[in-house]
Amino acid sequence: MIVAERKPLSEIKSFIENYKKILIVGCGTCATVCLAGGESEVKVVASGMRIGFLKEDREVEILEDCITRQCEPEFVTPLVERVKNEGVEAVLSLGCGVGVNFLADKLESVPVFPGVNTEFFGAAIEPGVWVEMCAGCGNCILHLTGGICPIARCSKSILNGPCGGSQDGKCEISPDVDCGWNLIVERMKKMGTLHRLEEIVPPRDWSTSRHGGPRRVVHEELVTQPEAEATG
Amino acid sequence: MEEPSEAGQLYAPCVVACPVHTDTRQLAELISLGEYEQALELLLEANPFSSVCGRICHHPCEQNCRRAKVDAPVGLMRLKRFVVEATRDYRISRRKKLTPPHEKNAKIAVVGSGPSGLTAAYDLVKMGLPVTVFERSETPGGLLGHAIPRYRLPYSVVQEDIEDILSAGVQLRTGLVIGRDYSIDDLFEQGYRAVLLATGLSESRTLNIPGIDSRGILLALPFLKSVLSPKPPTMGKRVAVIGGGNVAIDVARSARRLGAERVNMVCLEAPEEMPAWKWEIEEAEDEGIFIMNSWGPKSVFSENGFVRGLELKKCTAVFDADGRFNPRFDDSDTATVSADNVIIAIGQRGDLTCVRGSSLELSPGEKLQCDPETLSTTRNGVFVCGELLIGPASSVEAVRDGHRAAKAIAHYVDSGDLLKQPFMELPALCELPDETAEKIKKQTPVTVELLSPELRLKAFSEVEQGFTEKEALAESKRCLACTTGALADEEKCAACLTCVRICPFGVATIEKTAIMPEEKCQACGLCAAECPAAAIALKRYGTNQMREQLQGVLSGMTPKKVPSPLIISYCCLFEVTSRGFIAEKAAEYRRSGVYSILVPCVARLSVPDILSPFELGADGLTIIGCTNGQCLYPTAEERLLRRIRQAKKVLVEVGVEGERIDYWKTEGSAEVSWTSFWEISRRKLLQINRGMMRHDSSREKTAQ
Repeated sequence: MIVAERKPLSEIKSFIENYKKILIVGCGTCATVCLAGGESEVKVVASGMRIGFLKEDREVEILEDCITRQCEPEFVTPLVERVKNEGVEAVLSLGCGVGVNFLADKLESVPVFPGVNTEFFGAAIEPGVWVEMCAGCGNCILHLTGGICPIARCSKSILNGPCGGSQDGKCEISPDVDCGWNLIVERMKKMGTLHRLEEIVPPRDWSTSRHGGPRRVVHEELVTQPEAEATG
Repeated sequence: MEEPSEAGQLYAPCVVACPVHTDTRQLAELISLGEYEQALELLLEANPFSSVCGRICHHPCEQNCRRAKVDAPVGLMRLKRFVVEATRDYRISRRKKLTPPHEKNAKIAVVGSGPSGLTAAYDLVKMGLPVTVFERSETPGGLLGHAIPRYRLPYSVVQEDIEDILSAGVQLRTGLVIGRDYSIDDLFEQGYRAVLLATGLSESRTLNIPGIDSRGILLALPFLKSVLSPKPPTMGKRVAVIGGGNVAIDVARSARRLGAERVNMVCLEAPEEMPAWKWEIEEAEDEGIFIMNSWGPKSVFSENGFVRGLELKKCTAVFDADGRFNPRFDDSDTATVSADNVIIAIGQRGDLTCVRGSSLELSPGEKLQCDPETLSTTRNGVFVCGELLIGPASSVEAVRDGHRAAKAIAHYVDSGDLLKQPFMELPALCELPDETAEKIKKQTPVTVELLSPELRLKAFSEVEQGFTEKEALAESKRCLACTTGALADEEKCAACLTCVRICPFGVATIEKTAIMPEEKCQACGLCAAECPAAAIALKRYGTNQMREQLQGVLSGMTPKKVPSPLIISYCCLFEVTSRGFIAEKAAEYRRSGVYSILVPCVARLSVPDILSPFELGADGLTIIGCTNGQCLYPTAEERLLRRIRQAKKVLVEVGVEGERIDYWKTEGSAEVSWTSFWEISRRKLLQINRGMMRHDSSREKTAQ
């Protein structure tokens, strides 16, 4: 799941304070689950903004909305309509970075401000605590590392074992961060597959990750084809 | 309350068990909110005999109360009595406003002024049909007024209910016997479109045993009537009462009060088979009445024509294999009981005088031919209701029958047809699961002390006094609010598991989206307060009501009139022991700028709820929770404190002082501690920027 965290309200306030009519939009999927930008957070942020503006005697109209996902055209279209019809001057999105991008694309000239900082792909290891587990590298090698990702969970994204900074299972950058490679080694020991780490693996092709530029996935069978002869 | 309004909707078992489906669940809620007048309206809508039933009902609601599994059922009957007693003035004033609708051109005659007849009359008059009730005695009320002993039901209570009915326009003619003064045919000739026979079961049955004609033998109903007369009968030292039902108990307890030193009840039934209510049997035994179970009367022995005692034979079985009343005896196992008076209370039958001189058919055995589903007889336009139709029944069942009769007659007058009204059960919420019952905080049920048996026997004064306001508020708090719990909107729910993780009763689960099984949910509101998708609402109490309340409060104030500083105070409703406090003290504080809003457990306040007051212009927020250790919901207080911290953080991030939110725990009760908390909060607030959140010159003038 995409995990994000709400920006400080002072920062958000500085984005929107010079507009007269603002729409705050939440997202009903990841942002809701990680408690960063669901409908409830929209209410809290809206409330906070109104109180802040009230204190400064500023007249700002703040509208609220929340859509199922901010990364899907059908969910976004009604929002675009609303912005147009109600003369909204600026939009504050509490969705992840994808949502902000997508809304901005659809709204074109209406500014869209980010209300959250999108952090990582992660899981809830306990209620209220999310940790990063996946780097979105496009070429998953978890079958080789006992299910633990060295790119996401090793601070240096090393692919061939721990560095010298690994101490008592912790990474040298902080005693709160586990050494990813220590986790891998312990796991593969338990599974009896530790010897596989000695296998030679060719150098990695990084072009499938960020290094190769903005990526794209296409499912041909869903793409709308131009009118052509029906071939069975 | 009639047929289910929504497919699949379940009702609280107390509501289902009540023959007239009084919304007892809502009754408890309205009482806890201090809305006594609204509670009275709710009661009267279902049951015009609410004063009476608040005293003598057999309360099937309590017998089905789901709270029984936790500690004890909620004292619903006494809560009903409390409402009736707390709203006497209001009830009198509302009579003047009872204006019947435009009159239709079809008058109805009702024979008998007991609970079923008068209920039917009341309903018909409210539908615009003029009604005349014919009562053979001088005063209305039937057995309620003429037989039930005053220590159970003072006549003033009966009058309270009857006054409403008569004020609505029901015509009452007393001292007239239908079947003697007029026949039913005469009534039709006089222009009545329909006649309702509601004469009940007013004749006592007697026994056909040797010696039954001895002097000193009485029948139950005439005896009870004479007890109520200006000259009650004198009792001999020893009295034997034959019978095991409630009437027999009434007779026995009345005999004790009239001076009988030894009262024996003789009944066929074993103790657990006795038809009398358990609590009546207990009170009777406390009063020194002896019950001889499993004996039947064989003969009366007398001396000089006066009864001296009864010979009894052992009853070996009361019911047969099919469950029918079919007593068997062992004639060789006998006993005797000495008695100067014997009173027979073995059952009643209808007095069919009303039928005399009319064309109504009686079946073999002198019974009226009638249909319980259509309430009709063999004669067009003649209907029957109450005990005459359904057999021995309680007062609330008689009221239900009255409602049914009114419907049947109104339909007949409109269409000329009979209306079939099959008995339909409302679907009830199922039993409270054991594992849920264990998690619910036990609360000592409020007990009402009964008058001591010695004092009781001195006169016919009431045996118990009913709840005080403080007791009623405490008892209403024990209601589990069945069927009013949380519901998650499956379109908004993101299955984030927050509700599952924070529910203190382990109720919420995920089945694609969140589900809160109705039979477990305790309506605490914690899940609704924390749901990040704002997908959960409670059927009972939505805190969106509060935002509206706040807006209402603040919209009425012009800038000059806004007090300085303006404090909103959310306070725990359950700590209030008298609504007078809210009406007076809180009103006083309103004038000096503290607006209190009562919430049934402040732990249901969400972060937006905590921020709303500031959005709407308040300068401070004071939240007052319950006394230490008193919260009904485990972990709720800790959750609330976390939300308060979050809200303070929001304020600080937008440049407003976090100290503007204050939190207190009640000490003792609301009356004892809240005013001090408001004072202290206000003083603290004045230290922050002279109390005001924003600079407003128009308000500065009113600053303290």
